[in-house]
Amino acid sequence: MSYTATVILNVLITMVAVISMYVLMGLTGIFSMGQASFMCIGAYAVGILATKFNFPFLPSVIIAISVGMLSAFLVGIPIMKLRGDYVAMITLAFGEAIVAVLNTFSNVTGGAMGINRIPRDINLPISFVIVFLVVFLVLNFKNSKFGRQCIAVKNDPISAASMGINVTRIKMTAFVFSGGLTALSGAMVAYATSFIDPNSFGSAKSIEWISIVFVGGINSLSGSVVMAALFSILTEALRTASNLRTLIQCVIILLIINFVPNGLFGEHEFKDIFLWLKKKVVGRGRKTMKEAEK
Amino acid sequence: MSSILTCQDVSINFGGVKAVQNVSLEIQKGSVTSIIGPNGAGKTTFFNIISGVYKPTSGKVLFDGDDITNLSQHEVSRLGMARTFQNIRLFSQLDNVRNVQSALDARANYTMLEAILGLPRKRVEDRRNFEIAMECLDLVGLKEFAYDRPGSLPYGMQRKVELARALSSNPKLLLLDEPAAGLNPVEVEDFIQLLRRIKDQRDLTILLIEHRLKVVTTLSDEVFVLNFGELLTHGTPEEVQSNPKVIEAYMGEDEEEEE
Repeated sequence: MSYTATVILNVLITMVAVISMYVLMGLTGIFSMGQASFMCIGAYAVGILATKFNFPFLPSVIIAISVGMLSAFLVGIPIMKLRGDYVAMITLAFGEAIVAVLNTFSNVTGGAMGINRIPRDINLPISFVIVFLVVFLVLNFKNSKFGRQCIAVKNDPISAASMGINVTRIKMTAFVFSGGLTALSGAMVAYATSFIDPNSFGSAKSIEWISIVFVGGINSLSGSVVMAALFSILTEALRTASNLRTLIQCVIILLIINFVPNGLFGEHEFKDIFLWLKKKVVGRGRKTMKEAEK
Repeated sequence: MSSILTCQDVSINFGGVKAVQNVSLEIQKGSVTSIIGPNGAGKTTFFNIISGVYKPTSGKVLFDGDDITNLSQHEVSRLGMARTFQNIRLFSQLDNVRNVQSALDARANYTMLEAILGLPRKRVEDRRNFEIAMECLDLVGLKEFAYDRPGSLPYGMQRKVELARALSSNPKLLLLDEPAAGLNPVEVEDFIQLLRRIKDQRDLTILLIEHRLKVVTTLSDEVFVLNFGELLTHGTPEEVQSNPKVIEAYMGEDEEEEE
């Protein structure tokens, strides 16, 4: 694969991961500091299935997503009744625990050596299809009773419960859905890089996704997608100046938080912007027609 | 008439504070009942016990024949009880019509799979619920603000949105926690008319906490008076107003005063 193709592939993978974070944080208001562990789970599921059992692409991806959802469900049981800050702490601990477990169980996971020689079964068209599919599913989720209930729970859990919303259950739904999506991004990582090791899935990655969702606009899927692309391209562009990279990213984040506190897109989606533009253009068109009549 | 809500010896303690003590009361089906009392008398706490926010330390709450003492908020809500809050609690990131729709969303039947794939059943049900929500907004006269956020509306209108939200699930019992607080006299009059209209249109029982004497006397069939967490007396508005114990409890306080 060419260099450009690899870069684009990385952008697409980050997009899927950030979209999963958007479901969790943007819609439901759950801060998961260990979301990268689900990426790790997805990647390892694919790694083990593809290298040890020679599973083909589609079945291993589906199994990876299922394993991600299952582990999200298990982690979710104890934490869903907790307050936000405790959720952040426990997911952080879970994320680090997963890394430690993978490092230790070296006969299955290869330990710190990771898993090698995963077939490079993914290419750009497949990744684009996956991203479009994910955007489609998440948009539908957002515009359904589930998305609206997530926002209601984020805004005011007591009021939401008094409307008959089962707060624990809707949080769990979002957590499991998001865990599945993150695991999907992990499966993509495994196929794209052909080599995975536990240490590349630490909490730093989760925190990076959180900041991308924030900067893109907490309530905007479009914002998350655009910012995911910008940030991963930026990372790639500054590869030679890696110590400048963190600095530049921080400056961008600070500037955006200072001048557009709701994030770049705020609560708007691309659709709103198109509608606004259309209104402008059509409105201007009418005006000129009226002037012409005069 | 039969009773829709029965409380038997309901008490709740927060540490050493006895916020509500041995309150027993019955609310008749189809009536408008008010709970009044000085500030800190435990009125809102009592509401929170009924609607499932708090579990009582002792006692029992029966709603339309079901024991709801240990049910959680959403379960109580699904049995047909809806409420508004003293300090308006709308969902700030949903527009008004979606706020109203939230109670219907909680009762919608489609599954996660149908939702994320956007299948017909989801679309049909969403459209139907949206129309019901619009009707409720129309009922309180705010249809034109359907696509605005609650934060952009003045206080009085937000109260109406909250009322529409509580009505959307077609509840049997409506709990209103100080619905007239913060409204000016004209808005209060308007609100009384609105409540009357809703009461006439729907098969509804209303229980309200209120400080405004005007609302209490013009609307309610029966008034309960709470003081220091205990039930002081009850009766028709006239009886309660002339009761010396009530006057004593309010002594030094202006009855029309707001919190």
